[in-house]
Amino acid sequence: MTPACDRFETEGLLQLERGEPLDEHFVTCPDCLEARAAYARLRQDIAGIGAGDEPPADWEARVWARLAERKRRPRWIWLLAPVGAAALAATLFFALPRTPAEPSLVQELVEAGPTRRATGAHPGERLHLRAETAGSPQAELRVYRNGRDLLLRCPGDASCQRKGSELSATLLLSSPGTYQAVLVLDDDPLPPPGKGLDPDAGAAFAQGARVLLGEEIAVR
Amino acid sequence: MADTREILLSPSFGPFTVRPRAMMRRTDIVAGEDEVLAALERGDRHAALRLLMRDYGTAVYRYCQQMVEDDDLADEAHQMTFVQAYEGLLRFGGRSSLRTWLFGIARHRCLDLLKISRRRQKRFQLMPELPDQPAPAETAEENLTVRSRTSALSGCLRELAPRVRTAVLLRFQQGVTYEEMSGLEGERAATLQARVARALPVLRRCLERKGAAP
Repeated sequence: MTPACDRFETEGLLQLERGEPLDEHFVTCPDCLEARAAYARLRQDIAGIGAGDEPPADWEARVWARLAERKRRPRWIWLLAPVGAAALAATLFFALPRTPAEPSLVQELVEAGPTRRATGAHPGERLHLRAETAGSPQAELRVYRNGRDLLLRCPGDASCQRKGSELSATLLLSSPGTYQAVLVLDDDPLPPPGKGLDPDAGAAFAQGARVLLGEEIAVR
Repeated sequence: MADTREILLSPSFGPFTVRPRAMMRRTDIVAGEDEVLAALERGDRHAALRLLMRDYGTAVYRYCQQMVEDDDLADEAHQMTFVQAYEGLLRFGGRSSLRTWLFGIARHRCLDLLKISRRRQKRFQLMPELPDQPAPAETAEENLTVRSRTSALSGCLRELAPRVRTAVLLRFQQGVTYEEMSGLEGERAATLQARVARALPVLRRCLERKGAAP
């Protein structure tokens, strides 16, 4: 409903935003007093918008992992002239021995129905993990629940197996929550985990380790 | 066995080194930033980022959520903000508070993602997604829950042009002053004040239309 007096909207709001004292009119005009109260509520509503929203539980670990990826791809490479890059690629292709396998992590939900969502599972299902460590001297496969509980460490867990450079393990998804697999690789002994997904990933990043995150699995 | 996915993971990197930071003007330090600045002074960029994520992770996320149209984009903008903050920490000159500096990065990332998203939508003419919540009835003001009021406000904010929306959110959701915002936006404080003052009646009318008048 349009009020008879709209001076608060045309002048008063700007005075407020400028931090200036309001005109006398705004203290006596009923329309303006009402508008002033409505805008005070609107400001409060905007201030509180999204107040209950939290970022995803593993977001810090994902930041560390992205930083790790960017470290691996130095920016100077993009400054090479295209011809230089082509020559370099040809040299690498013909002159260097084949590169060893890249680290990777495969997640399989066992006993999941064929129409199950890719990132969802039910309690009682099993998560099978296979990790290619690419010959890294220190490698550990971990699974966290809700970013806090460290449920699996491989090597260490009874289900953990090593075949050549591959680690594999199976975890029973016993209770609802968000499960997150992580593969950590380094030449030096790894920092001991146990503080939670984000701090553990941060500590590994700080040491210079590779931090590889699987896609999180929601168990409901 | 079903539902097999292969996840490509982030590759390796070497240990990083941090140069000692140049002295900076500590004129605009928000309470609690001393810890971050101390970490930077001793060259511990890793600790500085960890503290920034702890202190501002949620606030930046809430800002990004309101700025961009969907959760995936908000996640992307949120994470990229901190990735770029890490890379830029050594260049932080102290001309603003760390918080303002961080929101400056977030603002750029959100506006960039919005541009890309709009371009893609134009090109492929995506079907509009159905809303999660039914739209509130025009005359149901008394029945509106807090959640649907918030939803209405989010919808109205998204009807504002991105540059207007970011000014409104930075001012009221994040409490950034116009002087600080002026540094971020590269515009005069008076221009931003006028922009926000003009946006408020637009928001009010929009909320009235949705039956969620303030």
